[in-house]
Amino acid sequence: MSNRVLNIVGKPVKKVDGVELVTGRAKFAGDIRIPGTLHGYQRRAGIPAGRITHIDTAPAMEVRGVLFVLLAEDIPGPNIMGILPPFDQPLLAYDEVRYEGESVALVVARTKKAARAGAEAINVEIEPLEPILSPEDALKEGARKIHQGGNLTFERKLKKGDTVKGFEEADVIVENTYETSFQEHAYIEPETVLAVPGGDGRITVYASCQSPFHLRGHIAANLHVPAAKVKVVQAYTGGSFGGKDDVAAEIGILASVAAVKGGAPVMIAHDREESIIGSNLRHASKIHYRTGAKKDGTITAREVRITLDGGAYASESPFVTMKTIIHAAGPYHVPNATVECRAVYTNKTYAGAFRGFGVPQVTFASESQIDELAAKLGIDPLELRRKNALRAGLPNATGQVFEQSVGLVETIDRIREHKNRHTGAKRKQDDTGRWLYGAGVCCMMQGISNGAEGIDVVGASVQMGQDGSVLVGVGLTDMGQGSRTVFAQVAAEVLGVTMDRISVKQVDTDSVHDSGPTIASRATTVGGMAVFKAAGEVKRSLSKMASLMLKCGEEEVDIAENFVLHKKDKNVRIPLSEVATAAYWTGFPLMNLSFSRAPDADYDHDTHQGRIYIAYNFGTHFMSVRVDRYTGRVEVLDHVAAHDVGRVVNPLGVEGQVEGGSLIGYGLAHLEKVETRDGCIINPNFSDYAVPTVKDRLPTRTICVEDENPTGPYGAKGVGEPPVAGAAAAFANAVSDAAGVRFVRLPITREDIVKALG
Amino acid sequence: MELEFILNGEAVRMDAPPDMRALDLIRDVLGLTGTKEGCGRGECGACTILVNGVAVNSCLIYAPKLNGKTVMTVEGLARGEKLHPLQKAFLDEGAVQCGYCTPGMLMSAKALLDENTDPTEEEIEEAIGGNICRCTGYVKIIKAVQRAAKEMRDE
Repeated sequence: MSNRVLNIVGKPVKKVDGVELVTGRAKFAGDIRIPGTLHGYQRRAGIPAGRITHIDTAPAMEVRGVLFVLLAEDIPGPNIMGILPPFDQPLLAYDEVRYEGESVALVVARTKKAARAGAEAINVEIEPLEPILSPEDALKEGARKIHQGGNLTFERKLKKGDTVKGFEEADVIVENTYETSFQEHAYIEPETVLAVPGGDGRITVYASCQSPFHLRGHIAANLHVPAAKVKVVQAYTGGSFGGKDDVAAEIGILASVAAVKGGAPVMIAHDREESIIGSNLRHASKIHYRTGAKKDGTITAREVRITLDGGAYASESPFVTMKTIIHAAGPYHVPNATVECRAVYTNKTYAGAFRGFGVPQVTFASESQIDELAAKLGIDPLELRRKNALRAGLPNATGQVFEQSVGLVETIDRIREHKNRHTGAKRKQDDTGRWLYGAGVCCMMQGISNGAEGIDVVGASVQMGQDGSVLVGVGLTDMGQGSRTVFAQVAAEVLGVTMDRISVKQVDTDSVHDSGPTIASRATTVGGMAVFKAAGEVKRSLSKMASLMLKCGEEEVDIAENFVLHKKDKNVRIPLSEVATAAYWTGFPLMNLSFSRAPDADYDHDTHQGRIYIAYNFGTHFMSVRVDRYTGRVEVLDHVAAHDVGRVVNPLGVEGQVEGGSLIGYGLAHLEKVETRDGCIINPNFSDYAVPTVKDRLPTRTICVEDENPTGPYGAKGVGEPPVAGAAAAFANAVSDAAGVRFVRLPITREDIVKALG
Repeated sequence: MELEFILNGEAVRMDAPPDMRALDLIRDVLGLTGTKEGCGRGECGACTILVNGVAVNSCLIYAPKLNGKTVMTVEGLARGEKLHPLQKAFLDEGAVQCGYCTPGMLMSAKALLDENTDPTEEEIEEAIGGNICRCTGYVKIIKAVQRAAKEMRDE
């Protein structure tokens, strides 16, 4: 594919749904208006741990406008919302509450105001239990069990080579412990659903969500109806970043049960506070690293022990655990590695998927340690990374070898060029000595596709009309990241039509194939490949038809810019619409459903050795900062992010992912801290929880390295998650360099900096 | 109580409860759902509208405050299918991802450009400082406002 001239892939393209978004026409779930819609509001536990002794709903019923209240016993199905084994999360708590935001009832009323008043009015008696607020306490002998099976949610190990021998071979060893805090997704649209009972025995649920088929399955199970009775429509979704899975299922189920009971549409639209306390966070972590290397910098061994605070329920903790250990050794050739990771229950808001999925935490810790190693060896940090960098043909920590699309060294070299160009650049004058200057780098990798988390199949349909226009349907969702635009570009490229001729379906479970969750930076790679295949099949019909019309071989036919051409004589051309019409009347299929299936992961579950991901995105970030020694204020002077994306499909989209993802990483590293007191979050709003504003923006510049990935369309691979880890770790290294102090805990707040500088 | 105001160029005369938020009047009564709610506390800017040309959080004011005023929401930006230079620039620069903050962001930027045709980067920062975007990292939003300003000057 590499020698082909591409017309649309690689060009900056406007979002296919952009006009709807800038005009306010796009309908988010909360924008859908159906007369008679009722509103649901959840009553939450309010304390982190306790046993429910009594629930009296009568006071709620006295609130004017309240129609009914749902309790656990009113859920027809199993009353479970957990999306993965061990399925430990009740939809509505009935015996025990395990975190403050846990729902115990849903009040349904004619207005949201009445529903909220009703929820507050319910008398819920809970006998408090001493909350368990840290993994250390949770794992103490004799600790109260948060769940029947104990407080260890999940545990896995990676073992490669012989770590004992590896450390014996080392000339120097560095060792340190790092910590990261919980992080809130803070998508600007709070979670919202609208469930509408149909007159046909089915129910339609409009949801702000990431994985509509997850919702369909959970709604059907809890309604105790066949899945085919449920239609989930992904409304325009105002950001998700991993966050609108569990909670979207939770309110999707509650609204559906209420809609069936009430015989009317029911909307649940979360307040900001509910969004923060009642949906999953990024795992807080404690990570111990030990790294050994020879004098020349060659890494001989790494040993890592990770504890993730998973909060009250498992959510995606098992998968985050796996992804964390797979990435912990970093994007390096590490011959001997041992990684242990465990996720632990505590009485806090549960942790789950959040852009990066464990990788930002270990990347921060690992890359901090690489800088410490560089300092001890007296080797330039970037050169040390380059020396150990994964290259094509070298096994990574899971023993997997990629023969291509390992562009890490090139990202390092591009960053080095950038640094060299700017070494001579003058620093801002500071006679007062107030500002401390520093710079940091980070190398990272992020697995693309479901990998160890399960099989990875995407279905895509491509349908051409007689007028040559094209409708694309893919079972993966666009939450803002631009996947609909990428799918349109791939179809346009294959079929030789212009972008204005392509439409991409809004995802609903009636009209697209179940393609699993939209996670793990897999949409462009696996989804794009499915579109590539389906479009190729439609093209085959067109070529066949055109060869009959032009009296030439199929291989002599080309399609470009809505015309069918004879390759040898470009003057011979027919409008595509004529060919499509002829194909229709001849009976050549103009629609195709194709599947892209990533090769299954094949690995040893006890050691995590084997083939896991279909590709990795590799990246190197550079950040330079100055730090105000008196206030701890950090100014980021320069940030360059180089990522190996295989092939750029939409430069605007890639830059957008890198700029936006980096700022979330910066938030993790510097600003964002979920603060708790006695197990309750005390900053569940945007005044007290600091989401980066425009004044915090990074001067990010994106460099794309294109080391083609054979498993993606035109060589592309995903870039949604990787920048988070890159920016967070580069920030930590830059600030540590400036301050001359190694910071080992994220976020590194201004207070931390002032304190460290004494 | 009775209200009279100009909404997106058209006169509106209606009754509204005195304790209704302007945001709810616009979304639920008038059906203009382009204006979004993100926090209900004036902390995110998603519900920004223009009242007499000034950008305000419509979640923080009551509907009667609109009486006698000229109000603009995102729906009033485009002329039919012809996009406002800000809308066009947001698309061309890739300043929109999920789009939920976009209506409020556009209104804050419009308030700025109506007053100041050639704003500095700091002035843009100031104008959209109360509008949170979690997707884009803001880089392209700044570029889009600069591009729109230039286009409006050149017109």
